[in-house]
Amino acid sequence: MNWTLALPEIVLSCSGLFILLFGVLQKRSEPSFACTMLTLVAFLVTGILVVVAPDGAGYHGQFVNDGFSRFMKILSLGAAGLAAILSLDYNRQEKTARFEFPVLLLFSTLGTLVMASSANLMTLYVGLELQSLAIYILCAFARDELTSAEAGLKYFVLGSLASGLLLYGISLVYGFAGTMEYAGLRQVLTGGAPLAAGLVIGLVFVIVGLAFKLSMAPFHMWTPDVYQGSPTSVTAFLAGAPKAAAFALLLRVLAQPFGHLAGQWQLLIEIVAIATMFLGSLAAIGQRDIKRLMAYSSIGHMGYAAMGIASATDAGIRGTLVYLATYLIMNAGTFGCILAMRRRGRALTRIEDLAGLGRTDPTLAVLMAVFMFSMAGVPPLAGFFGKLMVFAAAVQAGLWVLAAVGVVTSVIGLFYYWRIVKVMFLDAPVAGAFDHRAPSLSFVSAVTGVATVLFLLVLGPVTGAAQAAAAALFG
Amino acid sequence: MHTLLTDYFPILVFIVIAAGVSGAMLGGSLLAGWQKPYPEKVSAYECGFEAFDDARRRFDVRFYLVSILFIIFDLEVAFLFPWAISLGHIGMFGFLSMLAFLGVLTVGFVYEWCKGALDWE
Amino acid sequence: MATNTLMAPGLQAVGLGPYLTVGAILLVLGVFGIFLNRKNIIIIMMSIELILLSANLNLVAFSGALNELSGQVFTLFTLTVAAAEAAIGLAIVTVYFRNRGSIQVEDVTLMKG
Repeated sequence: MNWTLALPEIVLSCSGLFILLFGVLQKRSEPSFACTMLTLVAFLVTGILVVVAPDGAGYHGQFVNDGFSRFMKILSLGAAGLAAILSLDYNRQEKTARFEFPVLLLFSTLGTLVMASSANLMTLYVGLELQSLAIYILCAFARDELTSAEAGLKYFVLGSLASGLLLYGISLVYGFAGTMEYAGLRQVLTGGAPLAAGLVIGLVFVIVGLAFKLSMAPFHMWTPDVYQGSPTSVTAFLAGAPKAAAFALLLRVLAQPFGHLAGQWQLLIEIVAIATMFLGSLAAIGQRDIKRLMAYSSIGHMGYAAMGIASATDAGIRGTLVYLATYLIMNAGTFGCILAMRRRGRALTRIEDLAGLGRTDPTLAVLMAVFMFSMAGVPPLAGFFGKLMVFAAAVQAGLWVLAAVGVVTSVIGLFYYWRIVKVMFLDAPVAGAFDHRAPSLSFVSAVTGVATVLFLLVLGPVTGAAQAAAAALFG
Repeated sequence: MHTLLTDYFPILVFIVIAAGVSGAMLGGSLLAGWQKPYPEKVSAYECGFEAFDDARRRFDVRFYLVSILFIIFDLEVAFLFPWAISLGHIGMFGFLSMLAFLGVLTVGFVYEWCKGALDWE
Repeated sequence: MATNTLMAPGLQAVGLGPYLTVGAILLVLGVFGIFLNRKNIIIIMMSIELILLSANLNLVAFSGALNELSGQVFTLFTLTVAAAEAAIGLAIVTVYFRNRGSIQVEDVTLMKG
């Protein structure tokens, strides 16, 4: 038994418990700032441990460490860390600064790490639920606001339905293949025996459950409401790390145990990706609330990222991973800008509130414009490279329709992203300047902004890491 | 089919014994007890609800809190039973794993205690 | 699969089919309970439990038929997760009720579009 395999997860969970105790035993003042800082330290330590943790499988085939899990874990930890920093000042201003927030964030991130390392359907389910359950609570975290409670309720009901379907699919796969381990499943499926119908049905259920979590069409309907209703600091997290982790699961399940059935699931993923890209770009056009717009935008991004899976090649997986990395950077930065939208102490979320920002706060406006163009895929910003790689992979795999749809929806996407830039720079200001920006928001937006603009410089290393991760997945 | 039914025979025995014992208790108290009901005595007790009343009434939110706390802690037993039965086979590692699990539960317990979730008022 | 000689005696007599059928019926009941129910959120929570239980039933039946234990272990985990989910669901419903004063499904429509 190799204990050290799961050392990052063990350390993270122990620090979560410690922070919880530390917070609740602090009698005098609300320790939310200290707890968030401790959480960030825990993320940092875990990240270092993830990098140095040895490769291999352990815990009776439940848990695996490889290049792929390492890549996804670093992405998750980075996204969660940025979300934790973003929550610092926002929660204080909204008077929801309680120390449970960073603790729940930490446990949700722990779930994403377990998901990335799953080597067994049991680990998959437990990790997914750990991640989801913490987010259900986070969505309803502003407990005196009806919108937040409603968002929590909706996400809870639809998320539980999704995990229920996933679980049912797992039970069918287990029953008809006779094992839950990915390695065992792979053996059974490559054995050449005729494929049981139950196994295919189970696989479809599993894909549907994960598509729900990834808010891919036609299972996206919870996304706009939950994004809009949740506190914005939660939305920033929700759009980041959990998406990366759900993609990690989808990639691992499809590439490892079901890799030889690519013919069976490729078409399904392709159709879902096409529907998702169209929905994400078309439904975003008429939105007036920027959080709702971001919801549809993230739906669209999930569709592009799924394009790499649909091509079912090494290059496709690599494209998906690079796409996810760029998406997480842009996402954190955009939410940094959205959180900075406050006038007279009140948070704003309407797009017309941005009018004239180019004159009242040029720095913020330029940053926001950078993120919008990057999301639209304008070169040489970060978003362009992710899109380029998945498109190239789709073309190489002969999926011309998919690539064509991707280009068309990107153009539509450029239209609604451009609308925000237009409102900021060409419309006249309707109200005064925004409140003074909190330092945490400036920090995150500046860092991610620089990363977005200069992504070309780190493209080589990121692609190399993604290549190694994809190779580990197929190895 | 025959062996199946024999397998379930002990359950039948249990059902018969349970019915017999509870019947004897009720009947015994009915026959031998000295009964003198008055309004205070026959009124509702425990949770304070009328026994035969509309079930769709609203009641205190604190009952929900108690049920939430209960749900979490009663399920640890589901893990304790198999653990207790197989303790001889799983060695020190199994023993320590369960201690770690109970430690996590204890942290949760400390949290809810300090938060005042266990105070009724 | 139904001819496996290592099966539990009960399963051997009845066969796997009825278990799976009951599981599928429970799943369908649960899904319809969520989508067709227009009244009370508590009913939705019961439907969710029903879905999880249908998967549990499948897991236990398969575990017996395959004579392999991991299905039953999984069931224990699922039970615990279901309990945690129920607790969180109840808490969220309570928060929602405090803000809205009702838990009718038709009232959960603040955000739309």
